[in-house]
Parts: sequence; structure tokens; C-alpha cells
Amino acid sequence: MIGETQQDRVATGPVSAGGPARRRGRFGVLLVLLAVAMVASTWLAVSIGAVPVALPQTWGIIADRLVPGLVPRTWTPVQEQIVWEFRLPRALLALLVGAGLAVVGAVLQALVRNPLADPFLLGISSGASFGAVLVLILGASTLGGLSMSGASFAGALLALALVYVLAQRSGRLTPSRLVLAGVALAYLFQALYSFVLQQAQSGRAAQQVLFWLMGSLGGARWEMLPLPTVVLAAGLVYLLLQHRRLNALTAGEETAVSLGVNVHRLRLTLFVLTSLLVGVMVATSGAIAFVGLIVPHAARLLVGADHRRVLPVTALLGAAFLQLVDVAARTINAPQELALSIVTALFGVPFFLWLLRRRSVDRAVSVT
Amino acid sequence: MRLDLRGVSAHLDGRPIVHEADLLVDDGEFVALVGPNGCGKSTLLRTIYRALRPSAGLISVDGDDVHRLSWRESARRTAVVAQETPAELDFTVREVVLMGRTPYARAAGDDEERCARALDRVGLAGTEERVYATLSGGEKQRALVARALVQETRLLLLDEPTSHLDIRHQLGILHLVRELGVATLAVLHDLNQAAAFCDRLYVMSAGRVLAGGPPGQVLTPELISEVYGVRAVRRTQLVFERLKE
Repeated sequence: MIGETQQDRVATGPVSAGGPARRRGRFGVLLVLLAVAMVASTWLAVSIGAVPVALPQTWGIIADRLVPGLVPRTWTPVQEQIVWEFRLPRALLALLVGAGLAVVGAVLQALVRNPLADPFLLGISSGASFGAVLVLILGASTLGGLSMSGASFAGALLALALVYVLAQRSGRLTPSRLVLAGVALAYLFQALYSFVLQQAQSGRAAQQVLFWLMGSLGGARWEMLPLPTVVLAAGLVYLLLQHRRLNALTAGEETAVSLGVNVHRLRLTLFVLTSLLVGVMVATSGAIAFVGLIVPHAARLLVGADHRRVLPVTALLGAAFLQLVDVAARTINAPQELALSIVTALFGVPFFLWLLRRRSVDRAVSVT
Repeated sequence: MRLDLRGVSAHLDGRPIVHEADLLVDDGEFVALVGPNGCGKSTLLRTIYRALRPSAGLISVDGDDVHRLSWRESARRTAVVAQETPAELDFTVREVVLMGRTPYARAAGDDEERCARALDRVGLAGTEERVYATLSGGEKQRALVARALVQETRLLLLDEPTSHLDIRHQLGILHLVRELGVATLAVLHDLNQAAAFCDRLYVMSAGRVLAGGPPGQVLTPELISEVYGVRAVRRTQLVFERLKE
């Protein structure tokens, strides 16, 4: 009909490396590889530590717990206790939190159409941290017996409500206001918890709080797992069902509207969903930086921008990534543990700078 | 399919942009909307595809108030090629085009075929796997037309669909749209082109629809000087026609 001119061909240049044809073909393979990486990293995480447990023994311990008497016991009760009561819940929590934060990052980047968005951007992490700090310093009794995770969840909801009110413009959420309100509130909450920290009588408690603020999975227990599991599973299912709308939203508000998306309702739902996810994750593990920023970008480099593929890959990649980060945090400076944000930042900052140097970021940011 | 605007007014940030516009596009008609920059053409178009709620008036497509339809339903009736281009994420051309299927139930097997057919019609056959961001400006615009095609609506809104195209592709797009035979409302800048392609045209100025009708009757030197502040002179000039392929 309209022939392609010679000029057009010259003007467009080469197709970008790792073309989407290959992307599609390797999607299934990629999912399997990532799942394997997730299991392998978890296996590693459970075996490594001050009390070494041989790799086959960890399987044995887990199998024995699930089906008693299935395998002959070759381990000591101490090993069993360490693996089952401490390392395994911690490893599983690492998977959940890694996947959750990464997925939140991917959704926020679509929601505010800004490739630099991450869970910290909306002030929710800071609100959660503020709640947790209050409990740690003032003691649960002053706050009506609220647990630390309960308080950080409450803090996240408070931040969520404030951002929501501030980001409205004649009843609608606008991306630029979301970012501005979120950043402003993040600073406010940071100032608040820094103030509380400074006033704290006990230096030891302050130290603990600082460590927790930088992210730690050290407190993981079995009973902490159900809530993040349910929230993450429900969130992922919902998001995957909405993948076409997410794509349309990424293409722009007007485009999404003209494609039949109720943009305002979708934005509100995504905003509440991501806030809940962040609140739950921060409540269990503190504020872990960079996972939500790096992992979705890595996922897009692997499979392109379509959320049908980005979301599962982001979840698996985030899970495996945080597992390895936690292993590193436990071993680099053993027997002392590093805060997780230190390790994620060591990976995250170089990646972030590389991302900034890509031209497309400038363009995408200027759109917002 | 019939688009009917009655007394439509629109505000942006409290500022009145469009005043009581009346406009009609009948089934299969190609209608152009022209006027100087900032006269409210795009804003009026936005009220039709629901990016903006009119502050007064009624917009009906096939007899139904557009703003009362479900979002999906209005997107099944009206497709848009707007000026906004998707963010520079790594969507492929296929993914961009298939976004046009968003208002329909989960992707059926023949979506691939729809995509290929639409790309073929806009002269981008075989580009499915290319990354949209690497296309030239003209190719991007044609890909967006392809997206509107797979949306399979009987009303098409075009907001300066030819702004990034060379003369050959401008004519190509306009011919393509004409041959589709769907009701079309197109904001165009080139008056000669508008006159050559449309069945009827409306002229807007300062938020009001001043005149409407066949181009020969509407585009008088008096009206043009009133609206654009320029003198229109009829001269013999180069006329561009597509070569037969």
C-alpha cells in the first residue's frame, strides 16, 4: 500500500540487539532457568552459615520435616533446628520480599511512567520505617501494644493516605503529583524518625533500628510468612490479569483511555496494591533499597516491555537476587551480618549509573 | 456509525477552551477539522475519545452518549491516532499494534494475523519484531495508524495524522483512511490537503466552530482571512498525486 522508501530504511538503523523474536522463543526457557536459580540459591542459603550443613543434608532435613521418616537421619538435632527454624524461613522470606519489592518497582514504573520509580519514591517505605522506629524506641506499650511489623504497616498506610490526598487533582491521581508528594513525604518521615533516633536514650536500640532501616531478614520466623505470601500471590494474579491495561498505561494516559482503560480507577488500584505490598514487605524485613529499581529493568532487558512477560520474570529474578544478596550479607563479613541495603547498593549503584547514561531514560523522564 | 456533537463546551484547568461546538460525522464520511493553532481542535477531539469530560453538551456515537458508555464499549466504537507517542520503553511494533486489541476479550489466535494485515496496509509489513523506539518518526506514526486499524472501530479520530510524514506518506495515510470507508474526523493543518480529501470540513477559531460544509463552500478567502489572518490567493501550483503501484 504505502511502500517503504529507501530513506526510511536508512533512517531507522539496525534492530536492537537480542531481537524480540529470540526474546519470545526463550521466554519459557528463561522462566525455567530463573526458577532453577531460585531453588538453587535457596538451597545454598539454607546450607551456608556458622554451622555448616552439607547440601544433601538440607534436603534430608526438609524432607524429614514434611514426611517424617522418609530419609535416614544423617544430621544432628542442632543442624536440624538451625535449618528448619532459622535458615529456611529466612530463605523463604528472602524470596517473598525480593519478588514483592521487584514487582512493586515494575508496577510503579508503569504507574508513574518513570523508569527511576521504586518503592521508596512514594514515601511508603519511609512511612513504614517511621512506624517501626517508634515501636523500637518508645516500646510497644506506649503505642497500644502494636508490634513492629504492625506499626510499620500502619506507617505505610498513613503515608499512603497522605500521598493519596496530596497527589489528587480534582479527584484524579496524576503521576507527576504522585512522585512529588511521595518524595516530599519520604523526606518528612525520614526527618521524623531521625529525630526520634537522636532523642533515643539507648545507643544500642538506635543501633538496632539503624540496622533494621537498612534492611535485614534476621528476624524471619515461620509465622511471618503467611501474610506476605498471600498478599504477593493475590497481587501477582491481579497484575497478570491486568497486563494489557498495564501496557496501555505505560504507553500514556490518553492512549490508555482511547484503548478503553479506566485510567483513574486502574491507577488507584495499582497505588493501593503497591502500597500494601510495600507495607507488608517492609514490616517483615525493613527498607531494602534498589531491588525495586534494578530488577524490573534487568527483566525488561531480558524480555522487552510487555508486562505479561515482565511481571513473572521480575518476580523470579527479584526472589533469586535477594536470596543471593542475603547470602552475601551473611558471609562477606561473617560472623557479623551486613545490612541488605549495603549489598544491594553495591550492585545497584553501578547499574543505576549505567541506566542514567542511556539516552532513553532522559526521554522517558521528560514525558512525565 | 454517526458522531454527533451538540453544544459541546470544554474547559482545561478552569479555562474555557471550546464553546458550544456542534459537529456531525455521518457513516463513512471523511470530515476534516481545521483552524489556527490553539483554537481548540485537539481539545474538542479529546472530549470525543474521553480523555476530557466536556463541561456542557452532548457527544453521541451511534445515538449513545459517549461519556455514559463503559470504557471498553466506547473504545470499541472509536479509535484514535493522537499526537502523543508511547514512552520509550522497549515495546516491539507487534506489541504496540496489538495494544489496539485491549478493549476486546483475551487475545484470540487471529490477533497475529490482524497485526500483520494492519502493518501491511500502512506499509510496515514484516516489522513486527522491531523495537518501536527504533522506528523513524514517520514509521512510528504509521504504526499508530495500524494500532487504530486493529481496534476495528467504525469511527476514527485523527489528530494531525500526517505531521511527521513526508508528502508521499501523507498522501498514503489519507488515501488509506479514505479507502477504509469508516467515519473519520481528522484534525488537519494543510488546508489544501484537507480540501482535497474530505467530504466536508469544519473551521474552528477561538474555541468556536465557525463554519461547516463542503470545502468549496466553506474555505472562502473571507473566512480564511478572518480565521487565520492571512490572505488566500488562488494560484496554479504543484499538485501531488500518488504514483500507481
